[in-house]
Amino acid sequence: MNLLDLIDAVQSVADGILFGSTYALLGIGFTLIFGVMHKINLSYAAASIGAAYASLLILTVIKAPAILVFLTAAAAGGIIGYLVYLVGFKFIPLANPLATLMSTIGLLLLIDEIIVHMTAGVPLNYPALFSDVTIHVGPFSLRGDLMFVFALGCICMVVLLLVLYRTRLGLATRAVSQQPTASKLCGISTTRVNVLTFVITGVVGGIAGAMTGAAIGMLSPLLALPLTVKGLIVTVIGGLGSIPGAIIAGLVVGGLENAFQFFRGVSERDLYIMLLLFAFLVFRPGGIFAMPAGRD
Amino acid sequence: MTKLNIAIAAIVGGAALAVCGAALAQERTVKITGFGAKSGVVRVFGVNSEAAMKAAAEEINKTGGVTLGDGSKAKFTVEFLDDRCNAEEGISVVRRIASSDAFVAIGPTCSNVAESLFGILQKKVGDASDSGLQFPIIADVAAKGGLAKISEWSFRNVPSELEMYKSLMGWIKTQHPDLKTIYGGVEKDFAHSNATYGVMKAQAEGNGFQVLGTSEWLLNDTTFSTQVRDMKRANADIVAISAHPFTTCGVLKEMDRQGVKPKILIGLTSSSSIETLQGCAKQAEGIIIPTSFAPVTPEAKKAAEQVAKFGGSADLHSAATYEIMFMFKDVIEQQKIMARADTVEADRNKMRQGLAALKETSGLLGKIGRTTDREAIKPFLFVQAKDGSWQVLHKPSS
Repeated sequence: MNLLDLIDAVQSVADGILFGSTYALLGIGFTLIFGVMHKINLSYAAASIGAAYASLLILTVIKAPAILVFLTAAAAGGIIGYLVYLVGFKFIPLANPLATLMSTIGLLLLIDEIIVHMTAGVPLNYPALFSDVTIHVGPFSLRGDLMFVFALGCICMVVLLLVLYRTRLGLATRAVSQQPTASKLCGISTTRVNVLTFVITGVVGGIAGAMTGAAIGMLSPLLALPLTVKGLIVTVIGGLGSIPGAIIAGLVVGGLENAFQFFRGVSERDLYIMLLLFAFLVFRPGGIFAMPAGRD
Repeated sequence: MTKLNIAIAAIVGGAALAVCGAALAQERTVKITGFGAKSGVVRVFGVNSEAAMKAAAEEINKTGGVTLGDGSKAKFTVEFLDDRCNAEEGISVVRRIASSDAFVAIGPTCSNVAESLFGILQKKVGDASDSGLQFPIIADVAAKGGLAKISEWSFRNVPSELEMYKSLMGWIKTQHPDLKTIYGGVEKDFAHSNATYGVMKAQAEGNGFQVLGTSEWLLNDTTFSTQVRDMKRANADIVAISAHPFTTCGVLKEMDRQGVKPKILIGLTSSSSIETLQGCAKQAEGIIIPTSFAPVTPEAKKAAEQVAKFGGSADLHSAATYEIMFMFKDVIEQQKIMARADTVEADRNKMRQGLAALKETSGLLGKIGRTTDREAIKPFLFVQAKDGSWQVLHKPSS
């Protein structure tokens, strides 16, 4: 490997780490729902992309700046999150883990197909912030838009941790997560906590969808399935229920993906990511930041 | 008004209604069934094909419809079924069509569906040992080379990408003799993109260009920085991208970010559509793509307007669908198709024979030749993305 190869390899990994911020944002949503309800919401990435699509509607009304589009995506994400809860969880027997798994797979396909029918599957341009900014560090360059996504991911993590550990809602959420029966006995409405969890993760998902669209520069229904897979991988590697774990795992998966792409090519890239997932499942099933086991 | 007048009016009105009813009962229809992707990420192809079928049917019906074997006139009606770009569903859809009175069908969208589907048709007509389906199908979109060869019941009206890229590379060589090198980019996991890249590469080499390398990505990839960096290092005069609009735009945006500016940019036939311009008009500026459709003739302009009226967009694929409907009208009339429930088998055979016998048909850009292996030799031109629209750059046949 000559110097140019080395520079390219480092640059590839750096690009991947920054792009991994979008995986991290998705991972946060997956992990938060799992942390609270102990359920996997497989429709989460599709709902996030759906929220990003919904945010484009504002551009049909006014010539909105990118930041307003992102905020609309966050709001749409919250609404879609609530709808996902209503359709996929509220009336499904929660005691049966397979029931909600199946209902969210159904929702994933449903949301995907709604997007396809609304857009005929045509990719749509998505606005970005700082897309024309590139920071040069020696022979390396860092994309401004991806650094913004990275910063936003960190802000989301801090805000969510503050909500979880510094508010009454957070206390109630943790109580429901750890001791649902005791929480009920203490007068906490588990339904309300679950709804709020879906709305909050929906808002984060809306931001994740918008940031993914901004990072790629486009939205396509093609995104829903691969992002679902990436979100799940990130959640497992980060540790089910761990928000900092999701952030770190998102960046790690993004970086490794590009590294494998650089060294082994596109046909082998995903193979190694899957092997990494299996390695974690076998040797460290709790992920990077395994949550301590509760009394239940 | 007297009671007598009312009675006369009632009798006259009743008689008029009876005459109208009889006339309506006598009006015959011929249902043409199309199938392709109407869900999933390639839904737009199905939407466009259906719109083109309806537009052509309306145009044919306006001029009196089609004359059947018994001399009666019939109007075309259109039905379009969804195969989701999935081989199993495509086969299932065609079996359903073949179990009805239909004597021909148009489709499918995707090459992987066509490949499997044509495989279930009888290979050789009249082969009693082959129990394959005996039903004529003509593909309008599936573009992978040589598919019609699979069965004598399969036909296509898609352009030859081999001829298109051969002509394009030759034209570039003549117009830009200073250009020597080319670098490729391919969507590795999509049958059409992958097969066409092989064609592009072979034609580039055949015209004396040195292929410096190839970057690969997958259909639903979202990041292209590594691939584009390889492209940048190669610093080729020409970059040829064989990918569909989503990843074509992703790569073009990454090329823009990394400042990769080849002297000539070439794209995949299927990307000469409105999708590419909706996704990345700015970055696609200057890309050259060979296509078998552009609204450059009065017929093509009219067809584009009619297809738009039915909610579709006329492109090289849906234009082929539009042409096929007119081809059907001619064959039905030449072969004296009866289009009755009791003549289905005979009609299917006659339709196949008629389609196989075609040497030349009328197309929106001019005459379309037909080969012995049931493929089309379509006129084509080179279009270039300019100011957010596709503009004709060169007409090779002129």
